[in-house]
Amino acid sequence: MTEKLVVTNKGFVRADFSFWVGLYMDKFYDSFENKKIIGNKCSKCGKVFVPPRKKCGKCNETIPLDNNWVNLPNTGTLLNYTITHYKVSDRAARKAKKPQIIGMVQIDGSDTAIVYRLLNIDIENVKIGMKLKIEWEEKPKGNPADIKGFVQV
Amino acid sequence: MGRQVAIVSAGFSEHASKRSDVNIAELVSEAVEDCLKKAPSVSFEDIDAFATGNMPGFEGSNLPELWMADWMGARNKPLMRVTTGGTTGGSVGIAGYYTVTAGLPGIDTVLAIAFEQQSQGDTSVGLANVAYGEVSLLNYLGLTYDQVGRLLSAGAAIGVAAYQATNYMHKTKIVEEDLARVVVQNRRNAAKTWWAHLKMPNLTIEQVLDTPYISFPLRYGMVCPASDGACAVLFTTEEKAKNMCDIPVYVNGVASVAHETAILGYSASGSAQIDPSEQLGAMKTSEICYQQAGISFPRKEIDYAEVYSPFPNQELMWVEKLGLFEETTAPEMYKNGVTALNGELPICCSGGVNSTNAIGASALERPAVAALQIMGKASNQVPKTVHTAIGHGWGGSLNLCTMMVMSDEPQRKWR
Repeated sequence: MTEKLVVTNKGFVRADFSFWVGLYMDKFYDSFENKKIIGNKCSKCGKVFVPPRKKCGKCNETIPLDNNWVNLPNTGTLLNYTITHYKVSDRAARKAKKPQIIGMVQIDGSDTAIVYRLLNIDIENVKIGMKLKIEWEEKPKGNPADIKGFVQV
Repeated sequence: MGRQVAIVSAGFSEHASKRSDVNIAELVSEAVEDCLKKAPSVSFEDIDAFATGNMPGFEGSNLPELWMADWMGARNKPLMRVTTGGTTGGSVGIAGYYTVTAGLPGIDTVLAIAFEQQSQGDTSVGLANVAYGEVSLLNYLGLTYDQVGRLLSAGAAIGVAAYQATNYMHKTKIVEEDLARVVVQNRRNAAKTWWAHLKMPNLTIEQVLDTPYISFPLRYGMVCPASDGACAVLFTTEEKAKNMCDIPVYVNGVASVAHETAILGYSASGSAQIDPSEQLGAMKTSEICYQQAGISFPRKEIDYAEVYSPFPNQELMWVEKLGLFEETTAPEMYKNGVTALNGELPICCSGGVNSTNAIGASALERPAVAALQIMGKASNQVPKTVHTAIGHGWGGSLNLCTMMVMSDEPQRKWR
């Protein structure tokens, strides 16, 4: 009854957000332009972070911006994965032609993992612990999308 | 009765309009590092719990405190977020105070951290969540947010402050020059504060009056900037404080009072209070604080004050409402230099919110600066000895006032 009496008045507020990643991540993305992965190392516990960070959360140690950088290879190990039959980064939730694999990959020489798509791997063949390699965009722009995904070594 | 609480250190990040060299977490870690640097005997292991907060919905990242626990040193430790709009910082400070005074087992030392990186977000959208004074009125009338600007006021908080300003000016019979004088004092003080945002050592009243109006009588040169910055304050018990710093600053009174009449007066107010410069909530806040701290004559007993004044008329209004000066006499005090750095009762020597406004952090920066003035470690230190100081916050849905009374003596007279 009462619902019919409610007057709906629609209004819109536009929201523009921009995010600063900071100087550490800046350096990380800059290295993407040369198709290189870098991490940084806590001088106390020796853990290597990819992506790099200013603070080691475990030691509360500040990692200086100017040193403690570590050059890392383009290869890594698959720590775990998930398979989706829908298009990733598509809000319409449309079915993908082929199931897609998204995995957590530990870059060799680092102690953390990054999440990316696995390319050209059949779902029957995906296996935790498999060796992977970065597939770079042909013309990297210095942003996260420069890494297309990981392929099997 | 709770335990006596003391502040042993306070730290800041550098404030600017765009701190694009850091992300939110790194900005916060700067303030934490500065805070611990001032108390060299304190390490992260000594901190038992954390209180933190920023404006709700700002920066476009919700629950940022969960993201940055590692950056604050809060890994595996109790962490509580408080967010009350403009008074967020004040509420975070009070949360730190409560956590210590409660006497929970194993929790003696608490780090309170408040921050804001306004350049990341859309401030108006953030303000639409909390700080439009008219929100309650809009809800009452069933109007939408996009009509707020046309309907009642221009430019969020400025629109509200403009009504406060005109009412206050009418009551005290002052002119725009008196408002500009407050701005000049603040911006010149800010020039001597390392972390402040708008540093203008040579600003003159004429220059302020030469800027265009945003909302009469507030001109562009009179309103606060939008800053990126963070602040951290370390609270602990009376016993531990003595080993952590030379001059512990004892927190002797805290209060947070909401009063509906602070909301833009006319129709939303149930008590038919129509003067937005009346600020009964602020009067109640200070009354509670002074009672706790055993202060009978605030004008005589308080040596330093940091009030939350994004707009100059508010600074005049607050110092009166908080009992520091008689009603309508504040403009005269600014004119005579009573409130200057070397005056009898210096006010906002950090430059105040008028010069630096990282909203979520602003209300914590007030008690932080006041505490440092007592310790003698403030960036723009007053020449006289400060025994008792106050730090005040304003915001919420424009209805909330927070306040903290600090002293170099722990004794509460009313005990």
